[in-house]
Amino acid sequence: MKRKPVIILFQCQYCLAAAEDQSWVETQLPENVKLIKTPCTGRISPLFILNAFQSGADGVLVSGCMPEKCHYIKGNLGARRQLEEFTRLLEYLGMDAGRVRFVWMGIDERGKIQKELASFEQELTALGRSPKFAARPVMAKAGGSHD
Amino acid sequence: MIDMDALRKEASRILAEKVVDVVLGFEDGSLPMRAQPVFIQKPAEAKKLILNGFCGNNLAALLKGRPKTEKIGVICRGCESRAMHALVVEQQIVRENLYLIGVPCQGILDWREISHAIGKEIIKASEDGQDVIITCADGQRKLARSEFLHSACRQCRQPNPLDVNVGIGEFPANPDPAALPSAAVEFSAQPAEKRYAFFEEETDRCIRCYACREACPMCYCAECFVDHITPRWCESMVSPGGTQAWHIIRAFHQTGRCVECGACERACPMEIKMEYITDKLNQDMRDMYGFEVGANDQDQPPFAAFSLDDRNRFLE
Repeated sequence: MKRKPVIILFQCQYCLAAAEDQSWVETQLPENVKLIKTPCTGRISPLFILNAFQSGADGVLVSGCMPEKCHYIKGNLGARRQLEEFTRLLEYLGMDAGRVRFVWMGIDERGKIQKELASFEQELTALGRSPKFAARPVMAKAGGSHD
Repeated sequence: MIDMDALRKEASRILAEKVVDVVLGFEDGSLPMRAQPVFIQKPAEAKKLILNGFCGNNLAALLKGRPKTEKIGVICRGCESRAMHALVVEQQIVRENLYLIGVPCQGILDWREISHAIGKEIIKASEDGQDVIITCADGQRKLARSEFLHSACRQCRQPNPLDVNVGIGEFPANPDPAALPSAAVEFSAQPAEKRYAFFEEETDRCIRCYACREACPMCYCAECFVDHITPRWCESMVSPGGTQAWHIIRAFHQTGRCVECGACERACPMEIKMEYITDKLNQDMRDMYGFEVGANDQDQPPFAAFSLDDRNRFLE
């Protein structure tokens, strides 16, 4: 069977307005997607994204709220400035463009997370494995690699 | 040009008149080409002060850990003055306690390049205008100053100190930024594979001594992320994962804060290139938010200054 790309999904706990979406993410995620739920995107340190790649992830999806819809008022504004710049830095240092993706959710966008995950997985399959920045072979196994 | 007599006179004056408690500057080191920072406490000691292309430290890095109420006079070049303004913005030092003595800067010399070029033991090194005069056991050699400038100083946009209490010497106009070389632009012109290979090769030499952190004026955290143990944010070993994480995150923490003085590179015992990373981050901050580090004592760095004005950038 073809290897599926390992995706780490960082999800702000408030960004999925629909209860069905949230329960889908919590219970029915495909095996190659690992969910890390955070109180807000503002909680996501750039180190988390680097650690994901170092531990063998092929892609990172960050899901957060649109501006003005943040539960903590401006957590997402700080997160966007930092995390997008961090992505640009990783690309500058040689990472393939598109391995980190951001989804900023509006409150009426039901079912968007499933679509985003599917198209992200497709893109990552085309890119292949990510050997760059990988640093922890032991943890990569523990983190749910599927080969 | 630097007027050393006027500089020493000013240092001893402010000490004698109790404008400051201590003056921070450079004195001759015990080895040729290695000047060292010095804290001058008595007016008579001001004659020790020197200032030349071998003064490689960023003096602003020595302000951390000083008593908060101490009045301190700092002899500063462009990068040092910007570092101190950035530290004032971040509330690490108080502007009223600082007495900045601005001096013109001709750029710092890369002493390693000079000793590679000479290839034998150097007994004495001095500067004469645009020349560096190196004395060895078997005679003197003259080198052109411009060929041995440190890479950070070649691309320096603001050699002149900003917002100082007193300026000593003549200040030529700052160079035109468009005409300067840029390590970041050169680096990004390469293909991704080459960029990663370069980054990997550079970080591979790292021995995790953290000299770059100690030399940096903007690295002042009481506990650095690499020293944190529970949880461990990144590997503490000299392993590819650990050194890469250190170099990426160290640089990232400098986004919109790095004053591009190059003190980290000069401090590195393994001669690892680091500036190309922080240069790129600062260039992005300039392009996106129009932010210039240390330009004044008020503007917060972009990562601290987010607002709803960003709302249109979310869907870019």
